[in-house]
Amino acid sequence: MKIWKLTLASVASIGLLAACGGNDEGNNGGNNAGADANANANANAETEANDEGNNEAGNDSEGNNGEAADVSGEITVWGWNVAAASMEEAVEGFQEQYPDVDIVVEDIGREDLYDRLTVGFAAGGSGLPDITMIETDRLDNYFGEFPDGFVNLSEHGYDDHESKFPEAKAAAMKNADGDFLAAPWDIGPAGVFYNVPLFEEAGVNADDIETWDDFVEAGTTILDETGSQMVPIDISNDDALFRMMMNQLGTYYFDEDGNIDIHSDEAVQAMSVIQDLHAAGLVANTDGWDGTVTATVNNTVATVPFGVWYAGTITDQAPEQEGEWDVFKLPAFEEGGNRDANLGGSDLSVLSHTEHPEAAYAFVEYFTTETEPQMNALSEYGLFPSLVETYDDPYFEEEQEFFNNSPIWSLFADVAEGTLPANYTSDYARAFRYASDAQANVLLSETPPAEALEEAAGRIANETGRDQN
Amino acid sequence: MMTNKNKGTVILRKVGLYTALIIGVLLSMFPFYWMFIGATNPSGEIFSIPPNLLPGDHLVENFRNLNDNVNIIRVMINSIVIALTFTFFSVMIASAAGYAFAKYSFKGRDAIFFTLLLAIMIPYHVTLIPLFQLMADLGWLNTYRAVLLPNLAYPFAIFLMRQNMRSIPTSLLEAARVDGAGEFKIFFRVVLPTMKPALAAVAIFLFMFQWNNFLWPLVVLGDSDMYTLPVALSSLVGMSRIDYGQIMMGTTLSTLPIMIFFLLLQRQFISGILGGSVKE
Repeated sequence: MKIWKLTLASVASIGLLAACGGNDEGNNGGNNAGADANANANANAETEANDEGNNEAGNDSEGNNGEAADVSGEITVWGWNVAAASMEEAVEGFQEQYPDVDIVVEDIGREDLYDRLTVGFAAGGSGLPDITMIETDRLDNYFGEFPDGFVNLSEHGYDDHESKFPEAKAAAMKNADGDFLAAPWDIGPAGVFYNVPLFEEAGVNADDIETWDDFVEAGTTILDETGSQMVPIDISNDDALFRMMMNQLGTYYFDEDGNIDIHSDEAVQAMSVIQDLHAAGLVANTDGWDGTVTATVNNTVATVPFGVWYAGTITDQAPEQEGEWDVFKLPAFEEGGNRDANLGGSDLSVLSHTEHPEAAYAFVEYFTTETEPQMNALSEYGLFPSLVETYDDPYFEEEQEFFNNSPIWSLFADVAEGTLPANYTSDYARAFRYASDAQANVLLSETPPAEALEEAAGRIANETGRDQN
Repeated sequence: MMTNKNKGTVILRKVGLYTALIIGVLLSMFPFYWMFIGATNPSGEIFSIPPNLLPGDHLVENFRNLNDNVNIIRVMINSIVIALTFTFFSVMIASAAGYAFAKYSFKGRDAIFFTLLLAIMIPYHVTLIPLFQLMADLGWLNTYRAVLLPNLAYPFAIFLMRQNMRSIPTSLLEAARVDGAGEFKIFFRVVLPTMKPALAAVAIFLFMFQWNNFLWPLVVLGDSDMYTLPVALSSLVGMSRIDYGQIMMGTTLSTLPIMIFFLLLQRQFISGILGGSVKE
């Protein structure tokens, strides 16, 4: 009796297993041949059948719609969170121009996307989408590791769009040969988000803060009057403020030739300001992203210098603080100095194993160079476009109720256009780690900034084999 | 008098014991309670100081948001089917293999067993890419098979079963043989029934392993309709916009099945743990 039951159970389970597999047999039917055929592993049987219909029967005979009608296929796009949602919403407008292209947007967590991208590239392109989103500071890393993994957008004519983007942003999209391997999407012009009631309580006027010295002075007043500190920094894990300051001063981890420049005079100057902030007791050492958000919404800090995308975080996590936040530009290092910098931003790349490069390019071109999808991504999801012509849209001048009725988008647009380029390089992630270590050394062990950055430069040189300036 | 005094000490001891236990229960329950609170409140509430410890009214809304982002029912079904199928087959494999290693003597047995133990020590990440390539070449990406098969013969489970199987008296097996039972009959009707506690312990272990398994399913299951719970939950974390209410809702849902699974098997699980220490 018992043996019967067991056998029955095993048979049932095997059947189940087989059935689950069976579904996919159909999808992959003819695809077992090679790695790139598996690009279609994502497609389900139905849509694949559609594809074939489109390719073989549909367009050759019709061809009445000019250029667009020749382009067809099913395109899979990877993106995360609100970015995925904004691409989803662009599909309709895109299909008005390209009715034969189907777009499937897959919403994948940010870190997860990179894990899958790296594994897929390492495995020769298996399981990768046609288009993926990649953050600007990670592009060089992927270009360097997997140079054959990307479709050269310049060959499809993307060079024509170069002038539509801020110079610094466009420059970051290109490989060493000056070809576009990614199309610029959103951008992270930096500003200082500040808590209006805390500033008022301390009697500090944000307009008077023009230099970092003013910023330290204002911070000291606010600390005395309200008990709130000035900036949140995850001291040993993130150097966002340091990077924004370096960008302001026209430097970064590496110079334009790729040499290590993290110990330049400008970088030392930037780190010294952070040291001053910390010495005055103005830095709240926060723990990770959640810690930073907590500090923001609980009056632990009076300001948060960050990229424009942080506006979305504040509105999401502190809806009851409507009207209590506002933004001013990053303070300059000397009066009249540069106040523009960038932090973050992301881009779209077409991956080279795609079976429909024309269709994939068409979507990337539509999404990144047309104002409609870009404005929608901004107004619905707070993703700040790098497409300069959008800045003329009246939306930018609108007063934002949440942000003390200030037209903050036009402030950020202004910052975006003035930002200096930064050379991230394929060793960005390594440099980032040593920069955070250096920051921890300066703030927690009281190492002089010059010494700590010199040491970081040495370590980066050891690990990457790059020359130091 | 003596008895009274004894009674007093006993009561005192009990009070002390129960106080300690209650504190322990509260401490270990709190994260679950907090998760539940998070699931019933809007996202920003989780950051408020002092913390809000009362359930809010956003349960339905959080669920709706979650369901808009991931097909939660489908994802639950994926997770349950994968975890249960995996648990069933790998328990069978582990117990059969463990039995063979413990009770049969054959040439090369120890060498094979030693190799198996070595396999435990290979870091997972080393095999990730070749294994992924293999699955891609087989056309198995996006299938349950791709998640299930590579780990089906789980070395640690085989090891555990082998250790437990050693305690079966060989004379029992011989008696069965003398009575004319075949080897399969002995395995299913004599060995497995005496191994129930160990089987339950290994089953819970394997179920939890597969339930929480993240990196491998993430890599091989590309289609969001094939996602398992951890992969789906992780997909909710974007860059700077995170809806914590939604995520807490998802985590609450994902802990429920494992709680149920544990409650069903807990008696066996406890005796399975004790099984190693008490020899009758």
